[in-house]
Amino acid sequence: MILAIPHGQRLPLGIAVLAFVFLGLFLVYPLLNVFGASFLDAEGTAFTFANYTRMLGRPFYRAAIANTLEIGVAATLITTVLAVPFAFALARLPIPGKAAILAMASLPLILPSFVSAYALVLLLGRSGIVTQWLQAHGVGFGSIYGRGGIVAVYTLTLYPYVLLPTIAAFKAVDVSMEEAAQSLGSSPGRTVWTVTLPIVLPAILAGGLLVLIETLENFGVPFVLAEDMPIFAVEAFKLFIGETAPNPSQAGVLGVLLILTTTAVLLVQRRFLARRRFATSARQATPLLKVGRGVQAVATAYCWAIVILALVPFFSIVVLSFMEFRGPVLHPHFSLDNFAFLFDRALRPLANTLMFATAAALGVTLIGVPVGYVVTRYRSGVASLLDVLATLPFAVAGTVLAIGFIVSFNAGVLVLTGGPLILVLAYTVRKVPFAVRSASAIVHQIDVSLEEASVSLGRSPLQTFLRIVVPLMLGGILSGMVLSWVTVASELSATIVLYSGPWSTLTVVMFQALESGGAGIATAAASFLIVVSLLPIALLYRLVRRYELS
Amino acid sequence: MSGIVIAGASRTFGTVRAVDSVDLTVEQGEFFTLLGPSGCGKTTLLRMIAGFTPLDTGEIRFGERRIDRLPAHVRDIGMVFQNYAVFPTLSVAGNVAYGLKARAVPAAEIASRVDEALAMVQLGGYGDRQPHELSGGQLQRVAIARALVIRPHVLLFDEPLSNLDARLRVSMRAEIRALQKSLGITAIYVTHDQEEAMSVSDRIALMNHGRLEQVGIPVDIYRKPATRFAAEFMGTTNLVEARALGLAAPVWVSLRPEALRFAEEAPAGWPHLPGAVAAIEMLGPITRLDVRLENGTILKMVVLDAPGHVVREGQRVTLAYDTARLTVVS
Repeated sequence: MILAIPHGQRLPLGIAVLAFVFLGLFLVYPLLNVFGASFLDAEGTAFTFANYTRMLGRPFYRAAIANTLEIGVAATLITTVLAVPFAFALARLPIPGKAAILAMASLPLILPSFVSAYALVLLLGRSGIVTQWLQAHGVGFGSIYGRGGIVAVYTLTLYPYVLLPTIAAFKAVDVSMEEAAQSLGSSPGRTVWTVTLPIVLPAILAGGLLVLIETLENFGVPFVLAEDMPIFAVEAFKLFIGETAPNPSQAGVLGVLLILTTTAVLLVQRRFLARRRFATSARQATPLLKVGRGVQAVATAYCWAIVILALVPFFSIVVLSFMEFRGPVLHPHFSLDNFAFLFDRALRPLANTLMFATAAALGVTLIGVPVGYVVTRYRSGVASLLDVLATLPFAVAGTVLAIGFIVSFNAGVLVLTGGPLILVLAYTVRKVPFAVRSASAIVHQIDVSLEEASVSLGRSPLQTFLRIVVPLMLGGILSGMVLSWVTVASELSATIVLYSGPWSTLTVVMFQALESGGAGIATAAASFLIVVSLLPIALLYRLVRRYELS
Repeated sequence: MSGIVIAGASRTFGTVRAVDSVDLTVEQGEFFTLLGPSGCGKTTLLRMIAGFTPLDTGEIRFGERRIDRLPAHVRDIGMVFQNYAVFPTLSVAGNVAYGLKARAVPAAEIASRVDEALAMVQLGGYGDRQPHELSGGQLQRVAIARALVIRPHVLLFDEPLSNLDARLRVSMRAEIRALQKSLGITAIYVTHDQEEAMSVSDRIALMNHGRLEQVGIPVDIYRKPATRFAAEFMGTTNLVEARALGLAAPVWVSLRPEALRFAEEAPAGWPHLPGAVAAIEMLGPITRLDVRLENGTILKMVVLDAPGHVVREGQRVTLAYDTARLTVVS
């Protein structure tokens, strides 16, 4: 049997088989169970569409779908409209402090978005600090709860998804195209509009669709800000947790609808846009446009305003965590009580968070790197299927995957509920797409002939992968691991469904504090999360810098 | 040990037959070149021998041993790539030792063989350098040392000089040939540059559309091209119907520019062709001329530069050609 497989295909097939087993067991099987549950009647025996007709018949859940889509589309549009000029300014205009802007603009990607939402409540909520101060001076303003607040938080935390690829696209535009347009009599302004923008459009749309998917799946932000407005991911969670009998069929219906929506968006993003990339390899760096002082000042102010505005919530929560709370009420005195309280009450969740993040980061790397290698190096049906399967977790909301995990591993041969492993596995599956993408990007840059040289000198493909490819990928693998670690540490949506007993995490502590009004410990936990997110990134940055300098 | 035998080797990519039933025998110790334009299948054939491209049909043997079903890493080849493919994570010595370590050669022997190989490619003392400290030419020397230190059954060269500048190309190709001859390792060399092929090879296989167009020693392929493609690819030539030269036979012939002279400078007995100079290109040591015959045919000719030699455009001239250098092509 083995002999029938061409020798050049054995390594990728071996990797693919292992990946299929893992993803089959911990992604496909749980999702199939969610699908299955949504089609079962109350006894859990007969096939029925009744769950769908019942759920879709209720205005409350129809509203949940409408609200989620409405908010998602609004956030996507606003994000795009804000981020494209920002990207253009950073790529093509003389803006002071570009490196700092770029570094700060990437931070929202690694900072937990629900912390931003929570900070907004603490500052501008009904009993928020700014709200009370303004009321004391006789100024009132609209509510930050509901649509407006959620869209604002999404915009400020998700704009890097559009910004970063669009900057790259603007920089990759071949200047000679613009010069050609201008030589034909087009003004610089018209040239940007008619030549440059159409070239970067696919990158903008691709980023925008990622924003849309993120909003559809997000649990933390609407949980903090939606109040009684129904939202997809939150209602799925409430249905599943709130049920007394173990019948997750209604949660399953919402889960299935959510997966179908995000998958549709992801398919559009991948199939339609991937092919419409305009390959314009810029030979030299695109020159900065010459603009007047006025334009430069406005552009600079615009960029800095967005970057700072997005980080204000995180900054203020760190400041607030060093103040004294009595219940939910804040007193403007410096105090370490919140942290004392956190370390006293929540030492175990804190340790769990670090432990789970480490375990999941290792797991994600062990799966993501070989899979990223195979999907980049080999063209075959198996490799494409693996690519699709490894991207699928991106379209699955954490809440839904977690529900699938509970349904699948609550009884039978493999019982995982109630332990720590179920959390680590869920995190690993959720972060696989990111690890595969980043590994794939690095493999793209490694010349195939290096591997062929190694094989021609007598090393097998597996040895070649370990001795040549992995060392070359090391920098990228390391930063990918740190990113996984950081994003796992602040994971909320799957955690909140899966944790049990002693196996809670910092995000759970925050979540519980939100529900019970323990603002003090929540701010301390949030601050700790922010530090935990930024510290490894800063260390990595220094490490990479030193590596590059040597 | 004996050479390499390729029998009926074919490979199709989609609808393109990249290599089309190729039969070839390369002798032990021979420097054999696969020559042809891009897309002719020469690199695919080389990669079939190396084990990076599976065969659809046919077989390849190293001596008695059939190797086309073996994984690439056990075939016992040394390959030199166009872009050097020197491992950036290893030192120069680490690169050269790589294949020896894969063969579990004792450490002491590795050290001496690495030094020896580096000395052979004139990089003695460079062992501790890192690849990024080396020039392109030096990197290619490392790649050559790395391939020959394992004393493979065959050395495979995939356009090894294409990334080097013109001057270095000329000196490196002589070095490669000298090294190969001194070690006696069979070499298969891929290039699209006919001059390079002529200069290094014992024999050349000229390829076109996945097939072998002509196989032979360089001088034969140049002087007696079997086909129009061979005649044109091996250098500038005049490819004309025999009738245009006043001959009766209904065939195409190839006449190299250097086989033409002005009638007054030609030996007696060479047939004459009256015409007028249509274009002049002075290149320094030689001058290229296009001469339009009375029947309209344009012939390219070459004259060596000499003082007092003046040719003007439009000038009427009479050419003469050497019938011994007239080749009938199919």
